[in-house]
Amino acid sequence: MSERIFGMFLLCLSAVGLIIGWDLKAAFSYEPVGPRAFPLLVHSLLAVCALLLIVSRRPPTTWAPSPVLLRIGAMFLIVLAYAFLFDKLGFVISTVLMCIPVARLFGGTWRQSALGALGLGAGLFILFDRVLDVVLPTGLWLKPLLG
Amino acid sequence: MEVLSHLMEGFAVAGTPTNLLIALIGAFLGTVIGLLPGLGPINGVAILLPIAYAMKLPPESALILLTAVYAGCEVGGRISAILINVPGDAGAVMTTMDGYPLARKGLAGPALSISAFASFVGSMVATVGIVAFAPLLADWALAFGPAEYFALMVLALSCLGGLVGDSMLKALIACLLGLVLATVGIDANSGVYRYTFDLLHLSDGIPFIVVVIGLFAVSELMLMLQSLHAGAAPVEMSGRTLFNAAEFMRVKWTILRSSVVGFFVGVLPGAGASIASAMTYSMERRMAGEDHEFGRGDVRGVAAPEAANNASAFGSLIPMLTLGVPGSGTTAVMIGALTLYNITPGPTLFQDQPVIVWGLIASLAISSVMLLLMNIPLIKVFVKFLDVPNWILVPGVAAVSLVGVYAVHGTVFDLVLGTLLGGLGYLLRVMNFPLAPFILGFVLGDMMEQNLRRALSISNGELSILYSSPISIGLWIGAILMLIGPRLMRARQQRRALQAA
Repeated sequence: MSERIFGMFLLCLSAVGLIIGWDLKAAFSYEPVGPRAFPLLVHSLLAVCALLLIVSRRPPTTWAPSPVLLRIGAMFLIVLAYAFLFDKLGFVISTVLMCIPVARLFGGTWRQSALGALGLGAGLFILFDRVLDVVLPTGLWLKPLLG
Repeated sequence: MEVLSHLMEGFAVAGTPTNLLIALIGAFLGTVIGLLPGLGPINGVAILLPIAYAMKLPPESALILLTAVYAGCEVGGRISAILINVPGDAGAVMTTMDGYPLARKGLAGPALSISAFASFVGSMVATVGIVAFAPLLADWALAFGPAEYFALMVLALSCLGGLVGDSMLKALIACLLGLVLATVGIDANSGVYRYTFDLLHLSDGIPFIVVVIGLFAVSELMLMLQSLHAGAAPVEMSGRTLFNAAEFMRVKWTILRSSVVGFFVGVLPGAGASIASAMTYSMERRMAGEDHEFGRGDVRGVAAPEAANNASAFGSLIPMLTLGVPGSGTTAVMIGALTLYNITPGPTLFQDQPVIVWGLIASLAISSVMLLLMNIPLIKVFVKFLDVPNWILVPGVAAVSLVGVYAVHGTVFDLVLGTLLGGLGYLLRVMNFPLAPFILGFVLGDMMEQNLRRALSISNGELSILYSSPISIGLWIGAILMLIGPRLMRARQQRRALQAA
């Protein structure tokens, strides 16, 4: 069932791809194949494969039990929030905030998770920003404080 | 002779103190990444690539780092396979078959040292193979025009369809999704914006690192959470750590045979370390006849897959270096590394960038020696890494991966996109879609389109140019065989089974 749904999603994706792709035309061109041929080819093939996926019989996908799936979903949202807040809060704070709940999901106690998160946030900042010369954001909140 | 002088130059490049240190660090990190369950060579190379780039390492040093990590991962995967029955990566799956039973018998030390030695021989055989065959293949590939290249890429993608995963349809869909992502961005020939949805960040296309880290590293974290409850009890390391003479005599031909077979399997585009190790394992099992303990703890059962594993990993560098076509997911990531440095892999690489190619080949040999020297005495140190609890490991991997994505362009957009792709990667993996075709499709998409358009420009739109030379006809036939060959063989086996019944 889940593969059928995914097949439908792919079919929609390829339909959108074909509709947008149809309008891709170059103002003038020196070559026989324009910018739209390859995308149209790829999206058409994808549409065919999506249809095959929908109609073919296959063994059902085994998903993790729902409590585990919930945790996985939570993990995804935490990392997504981390990505959004990375710049705004700065590397150290956002990393600490991400690491605590993730560590909890992987069986750390509150104490372990908090200490581990602080260690990772500070340690990785020193390692990357100071030692390896990878510039990391310090956070927009710091700016007004620094004047 | 010319090859030898180039090789000496290569050793001069790889042998500078800085590059030796980089290889040493890479080999160590690679072993650690390889032995941590779940993290494999693709993750290792993918996580370190943006960091190497952001540190402004020169291209040859960055490649030396990545190859050392690659080699280290292939060696490291066996440690967790033998000690906790969890393969560190796909190439080490076969090693669990006899490695864990050996460890249960109290022979963890000999199993680890024999597999380290087998890995070393496999790597060395493959390095010699690269020196012998790669320049020849590069010379031959100089005759390739755009039409031949296009056919070659179709061959590479069809090899994947025939060999990977449980279903060809799924491999094909994964590959097409990669191609779909590759069409995003400004069209280089006409300047038309394609599928950018007016987002400035998408006009240069989706960055390679974002796709790799998202698909592999981020989705891996979610999979680790899923498999959290399925772990085996670790075995205590006790007794001798080195194999003895009797064990060596038992495996010497196994190692040599498996190295050679593994190398050739690796050279085939699409067939990776997991196929090579499975093939040599069953080959050795068959050759052993009655006198074997395969499956219950036979030293040959750890020697064969480990030798093949490393030989094929290095073998897959040949199509990458000579044709610019990656043979595996990891080499696809390495092609991405080369393009970050504005280096186009392909037949002319050997002429244009001898320092890089030969430095890389020399560093393969150097890092193999380092890995052997490191792995036998330091095995107890590496084993300690298995004790790192997940509650510190996983957040650490998450942070390091996203730092890598951020380091390249410094935008939050890339981070968000990478995370979303991670979600997609998780869904694909749970539904048994293989990810290697996805990443190959993404890497090859642009090259495929450019070569197709170039070929058709030459012929003024005449499609027959695509199958007009003997080379391209050969490649098309190869592609068709790769697609239907495995199916025909399976059908024949089924018919035989029916007749036998």
